[in-house]
Amino acid sequence: MLFSRRLMLGLAMAGSLASALAVPALAEGPTEIDLFFPVPVDGKLARDMGTLIKEFNEGHPNIKATAVYTGSYDDTLIKTRAAIKAGKPPAAVIMSANFLLDMQIENELTNLDSLIAADGTTKEKFLGQFFPALQGNAVIDRSVYGVPFHNSTPLLYINADKAKEAGLDPSKPPQTWAELTDWAKKLTKREGDKVTQWGIAIPCAYDYCGWMMETLTMSNGGRYYNEEFGGEVYYDTPSMLGALTWWNDLVAKHKVHPPGATPGPAVSTSFISGNAAMMMLSTGSLTYVRDNAKFAYKVAFIPRNVRNAVPIGGASLIVPAGQQADKQNAAWTLIKWMTSPEKSGWWSRATGYFAPNMAAYKTSDMVEFLNKNPDAKTAVEQLDVAKPWFATYKTVPVRKTLEDEVMLVLNGKKQPKEALAAAQKAADETLKPYNAETSLKLP
Amino acid sequence: MSLAEPAALPVAASAPARLHIVTRFSHRFKTSLPAYLLLLPSLVFLALFTYGAMGRVLVDALYQRATPKAPVRFVGLDNIAAVLADSAFTGAVVNNLVYAVGTAIPSIGLALLFALALSRTNAVNSALRAALFLPVLIPMVAASALFLFIFLPNVGLLDYYIGSLLPVLPNWLGDSDIALYAIMVITIWKNAGYYMLFFLAGLQAVPEDVMEAAHLDGAGPYQRLRHIIMPELKPTFLFVTVIAILNAVTQVDHVFVMTKGGPSNATNLVLFYIYQQAVEHYDIGKASAATLLTLAALMGLTALSFRTMANREDGP
Repeated sequence: MLFSRRLMLGLAMAGSLASALAVPALAEGPTEIDLFFPVPVDGKLARDMGTLIKEFNEGHPNIKATAVYTGSYDDTLIKTRAAIKAGKPPAAVIMSANFLLDMQIENELTNLDSLIAADGTTKEKFLGQFFPALQGNAVIDRSVYGVPFHNSTPLLYINADKAKEAGLDPSKPPQTWAELTDWAKKLTKREGDKVTQWGIAIPCAYDYCGWMMETLTMSNGGRYYNEEFGGEVYYDTPSMLGALTWWNDLVAKHKVHPPGATPGPAVSTSFISGNAAMMMLSTGSLTYVRDNAKFAYKVAFIPRNVRNAVPIGGASLIVPAGQQADKQNAAWTLIKWMTSPEKSGWWSRATGYFAPNMAAYKTSDMVEFLNKNPDAKTAVEQLDVAKPWFATYKTVPVRKTLEDEVMLVLNGKKQPKEALAAAQKAADETLKPYNAETSLKLP
Repeated sequence: MSLAEPAALPVAASAPARLHIVTRFSHRFKTSLPAYLLLLPSLVFLALFTYGAMGRVLVDALYQRATPKAPVRFVGLDNIAAVLADSAFTGAVVNNLVYAVGTAIPSIGLALLFALALSRTNAVNSALRAALFLPVLIPMVAASALFLFIFLPNVGLLDYYIGSLLPVLPNWLGDSDIALYAIMVITIWKNAGYYMLFFLAGLQAVPEDVMEAAHLDGAGPYQRLRHIIMPELKPTFLFVTVIAILNAVTQVDHVFVMTKGGPSNATNLVLFYIYQQAVEHYDIGKASAATLLTLAALMGLTALSFRTMANREDGP
């Protein structure tokens, strides 16, 4: 009896302690909001984010924002979805720009139009701050669902020392696929059958591989997907066939590109160590290359076969659905602050991504930075020919159907034509339920 | 005894008997109440995080939505049928079988070898044991990150040392023919030291006098191993095999870090397939169905191994 009474007492104490902890949360005070943020590139970013949020909180006493690190882009999507399901969505999330459409289809995003209107501005004016190339991934059905935060495009990185060694002029980088093939041949070194230095390396791992396929397809005149409608991809097309065939030729025919599928970090390590003389990689790796390359390097536009065109990458700020009004407003204040010219520029210099807000490039800090690092300017200039990142219903599985087939081709197990036909078939299958509800739902 | 008595007796006897049962039950309940109360916290958490989750998986496996905006509806066994018809799932099962056999046999073999070599306790052996056990202490994710560098094509540690011996440098993790074996190497490296501990413990149980007798009878090292040590180690073998197979199904951290199941699903294992269905495809129904199938297979395996173990204890 004594025992159970003591237990009851313990339980009662635990209960009162729990309620004591819960009370302060209900009390009046600054609006507390969470910001989920991923770190897609190495190390230092988490600390930079802490600095940024601390500065925000000091300037906004009625809001208390907390930055919550949520892993990679994919992990951030998982955690955001889990939080929405649990009924406790974060107030704002830095979300991979090509997940927005899928989330909107699943009713997981807040339409930002009313928040923009409440500020007394128009959608056009609001979006007008950002580079036009970024708007495609932020606007769905003519409504704004995301605010571009940090973005990238693919670049051609050239080891200038090796180019000079091979008798090539790094100040005139290759502009077409023909020139690039020629450069890659000249930059490949062999000992018998063994290659000691590769001419070029292009990454292919899940996520990166789809982005590189979109890059090559676009420079071959094509489109990866239907930009206006999330139910179609264009895998089995001449432009993508040309892109994949050329990539495969670099591997199998010219033997200037390492065989198999190589992830992004392996490609950048290979370039830094001098094992690959050129690589195609995101502008997001620019800071890493700048800090680690022990040789002169040069960055250039992605060469064209038909036209100059590249996809954007990176992330946007979103407000998940199901948020209370006061937190929504606080999140909106935070988002506007983070994407303002000064903060946008600061983040760009810290990370290597370019700043989506065009006015950031007019700030004095940024002008000075670009004068010191002209390579960062190339990324911004390429934005003129940039287009949206592929985004469909179930973006990741639809992308994976292509990537699995591309990997088979790069491993010499399939021919490009049959691989793309198989990828198209599998992607159509994944997109079927969405089409059944939209394009094939007839009166 | 008169005839009237028995008629009266049951009435008289039954009431106290029933009372007796009730009091006994309540008494038993009273005495075990503290025990139940003590168990309550664990039971609550088990229910919440283990059985509750399993129940939820069971329910989720029966529901599916036809189109993105449609509400979920009851579909019975359709999800299970869809999983079984998915070539990615059957591919993952095949990969997992290859992976289980290919990691269990070498790691157990190595573990036995290490244990036999290091069974005598002295300073050198203790140091070697510690060295062999070290991989167990490294978290799988950290180990995978290390091996990412070791396996880097052309510039990695592996190619640096053996590159000159090979005619062509392989893309260890990027070649669909090699990747699964590269992943298996890590598992073996990581688990052999762990299984060694079980064999070391098992070797302690080999009776000293029997070994001495065999020695006096002129049994050589091989004969002692074959006829004395191995039979004594049989329960250890069984136990370690079960652990190794369970590990092969439940440890996919390195797949997650190193290959994400690629290239072209070559390293996709069942647990990673479930993750893909739940997270990438956002298809909870199919993910739950695949989880149920895996759970059933694992439970069957565990039940089988426990029965064999129980049988062994009765037998010779």
